[in-house]
Amino acid sequence: MDNQHLTDLIRRAQGGNTASFAELVDLHYDTIHRFAWKWCGHRADAQDIAQQSCIKLAQNLAQYRFQAAFATWLYRLVVNCAQDWQRAQRRHVHAALPVDEAAGDSWRVEDSVHLSQLLAQLDELGQGMRETALLVHAEGMSHAEAGEILGVSESTISWRIHTMRKQMNRREQLANGSV
Amino acid sequence: MNTQSFERQLQQVAPPAPDPAARQRARHAALEEFRRLHGQEARKTAPTGWPWSRQWLGGFAGACVAVVGVSIYWLTPQDEREVRLPAPDTSRAPVPATDVQRAGVKVPDDVVEPATALEVTTEAQSPTTAPPVEAPIPSGLQQHMDVQAGGSSTAPSSDNGAGDQEPVELASVEVTGTRIQHPKVTSANPIPAITGEEMRDLGFVNIADALTMLVPQNISTYEPNMTGDNQAGSGGGSMEGLDRGIYFIGNTIANLRGMDPAQGTRTLTLVDGRRTVSTSNQADVVDMNIIPSNMLQRMGVVPGGDQFEHFDTNPPRRAAEEPVSTFSVDVDTTSYSFARRALNNGTLPAPGAVRAEEMINYFDYAWPAADSRRQPFRPTVTVSDSPWGEGRKLIHVGIKGYELPARGKLDVNLVLLLDVSGSMNAPDRLPLATRSMKLLLDSLKATDTVAIVVYAGAAGQVLAPTQVRDRETIEQALDSLRAGGSTAGAQGIRLAYQLAERNFREGGVNRILLATDGDFNVGVSDPDELKRMVERERTKGIFLSVLGFGRGNYRDDIAQALAQNGNGAAAYIDTLSEARKVLVHEASSSLFTIAGDVKIQVEFNPATVAEYRLVGYETRALNREDFNNDKVDAGDVGSGSTVTAIYEIAPVGSNAALMDERRYAGEQAPATVRGSRASEYGFVKIRYKLPGEEQSQLIEQPIRVNAGVPRALRQDVAFSTAVAGFAQLLRGGQYTGALTYDDVLRLARSSTGEDPFGHRAEFVELVRSARDVQRASGRMAD
Repeated sequence: MDNQHLTDLIRRAQGGNTASFAELVDLHYDTIHRFAWKWCGHRADAQDIAQQSCIKLAQNLAQYRFQAAFATWLYRLVVNCAQDWQRAQRRHVHAALPVDEAAGDSWRVEDSVHLSQLLAQLDELGQGMRETALLVHAEGMSHAEAGEILGVSESTISWRIHTMRKQMNRREQLANGSV
Repeated sequence: MNTQSFERQLQQVAPPAPDPAARQRARHAALEEFRRLHGQEARKTAPTGWPWSRQWLGGFAGACVAVVGVSIYWLTPQDEREVRLPAPDTSRAPVPATDVQRAGVKVPDDVVEPATALEVTTEAQSPTTAPPVEAPIPSGLQQHMDVQAGGSSTAPSSDNGAGDQEPVELASVEVTGTRIQHPKVTSANPIPAITGEEMRDLGFVNIADALTMLVPQNISTYEPNMTGDNQAGSGGGSMEGLDRGIYFIGNTIANLRGMDPAQGTRTLTLVDGRRTVSTSNQADVVDMNIIPSNMLQRMGVVPGGDQFEHFDTNPPRRAAEEPVSTFSVDVDTTSYSFARRALNNGTLPAPGAVRAEEMINYFDYAWPAADSRRQPFRPTVTVSDSPWGEGRKLIHVGIKGYELPARGKLDVNLVLLLDVSGSMNAPDRLPLATRSMKLLLDSLKATDTVAIVVYAGAAGQVLAPTQVRDRETIEQALDSLRAGGSTAGAQGIRLAYQLAERNFREGGVNRILLATDGDFNVGVSDPDELKRMVERERTKGIFLSVLGFGRGNYRDDIAQALAQNGNGAAAYIDTLSEARKVLVHEASSSLFTIAGDVKIQVEFNPATVAEYRLVGYETRALNREDFNNDKVDAGDVGSGSTVTAIYEIAPVGSNAALMDERRYAGEQAPATVRGSRASEYGFVKIRYKLPGEEQSQLIEQPIRVNAGVPRALRQDVAFSTAVAGFAQLLRGGQYTGALTYDDVLRLARSSTGEDPFGHRAEFVELVRSARDVQRASGRMAD
């Protein structure tokens, strides 16, 4: 769908056209779900985040003013939903990490657990690290794009990437060097 | 072990395709919301599970419906989906059976039996906040209830414009609840829960026992005192207890606060999300044994919330744009006690409950003391390297208040205002409060007076102002106090102030000590009216301090507001040793003010400082113009207490600033810095009022670049830095870079020093607990 079509679709949806909104959701659900899954590595939670994001889309669509690209705005929305979900999750002390059994044939069971652990390590490095890593490495965005989505300067993104690389390398070395 | 770099791993992540059912659900939920916002009615349709549009069906009239229905049935793909009939829910109107029929859902005969396993959820309610049944289910409770018919009580529909009420025969029905979160309802406490399976694995045969494991304060069986002498003041009448208690005998109830059921247990029991008929004459008495334990699916406890005022962590600011930082001192220690309590219970404190300045100020530091009453402060300024920000520095501004000599101690007129509502019954509440008050007597002179007023249960005067020399009478009065009842005493705070006024000591200390677990029904129901009263009395010279007890319904926000308005401190007493600290060791600072309305203002020099950040004091921020305005209220400093503030700065040229230089900063060239100013990071100003005076005094001191840290203070600078680091980590570590709990641990252990009361050693233990709790929550350790 080219840009003009998308713009028209959004405008109609903002005007209250249900069918247009439904189409908007259908167009973007896969993207949202994919990103949500990368965020938590777990199917059921990804579905929750995705569903919440779709609802948020309905609530906030009126505030989209076509200044940024729709994708940028949408990513920001999904990142916020994912962060809210994560905050809510933190209150529960998990005894064991959830294992995503139905992850599909291209993925082994242990892979998503590993992803969760990896992301948790990034979390420990500070706020904003997880989303930065996901946007830049997993979604392939440029630093500028990621900065726009997260509302920080491009240099902040660069600094975060640099810090993560340094810290993760250090951990790798410690893990390899020690018992 | 994965040898690829984490970047490669992230690049190679390939998520699975979304589940179509989930997609449908999300679509439906979003459309519901969209329609709701745009003023359209939500439609209730049966799920069809078809990928095709049903537009073409709309044309058929009702007469054709049956035929259509049959043909559609045969066309419907047979998916494997579990059938779950909607269970009742409390948050929205229940789906009437007729609605389901109207939608034409015909459930095939081989339907799986609806869930017979009952779900017991208990929700503890505090007396002041009783959620109406119509209120949305708090997210915590939501997560422990498989609400099977939630707000969007219909199955996902495919959207079509035409009539869609044809009866359809379906292979399966899937109705799911909504997981729409309710961001306004958040709790500072984790939600303990247990599933039926876990319960049986653990060997519990009795639901009540499992509940007591989750919530140790639970008292499930109640044996009334038949002779009735558990009532204060009753003459041992034998029928009293019998009358009130008999209804509970034989009932195994959930009583999460361990209260006298005759007074109301404040515990709401929900079965499958609904209130259940009481099993006795009293309302809300639900015998847990009506549910066979092998049918229990899940049991969870939703505690009430401890409520803390939310605030955002201070961000770094550019010295060139916002050079002046102003705040009021804070000598409260509530946040530290509260965090300690959470950590000792194995959970991290909620970030909103962590106020860095209160944690830093919990400890005593050896800043050089002032030596005169007229100038009761000597600020100490040190500059050291920041352990978590490469290239950045920490500036400590420490104030040690003048210590009143023991002989010259002022006369004290104290009124204890104690909450005796039912919830105060637990051992860490009223009993701890009365023991704490007895300790306080040790710090008073024989001629000081103490009066006791109670509220929110019984109400009124328990003890007229009595001299401390008559200690036995005071102790007896304290011992006679019993918690129970829930009436807001009309007399309460007003009476307390009256007593204080009647007994006013000119030139002495006149103070009300309010002890509560969160119930502020002191007899004035309008919170603004209450604040105004506290302020009025403050101007008359009667101050108010708040002592908090207990957990689960602690209204820290109200406590802080009252204490600040009342020129008193708010402290949270979780253990007797904390009581000893606040009311004995630091009694003089709790009772005797040596300076009032203490404000601090720091101006940073943009030529030497690029960025600065104040650690803590977010809830004490003042406007720049408030500093010189003596009418603006600020915190008080008690005799001998220390107040410390820590700034983190990025010096000019250090490359350590988080914010970039502005590109369009305009023509403002930084002011030419002459001579000695080039060697200053900034300038500290402190305003304070001596007791009884209306006009403030000013103390000033520059912050020299080469101030360094005097040898004698190194340990305290290091320890306070460790506490600051800890507090920031608990709040999420937004600005502490790679700092970890282990780093804090190392720093704290190396700077414990003499530690006569063991407070610093206790801190070290808390850091360990925090580190362990975080590890246990599933993250890899550092």
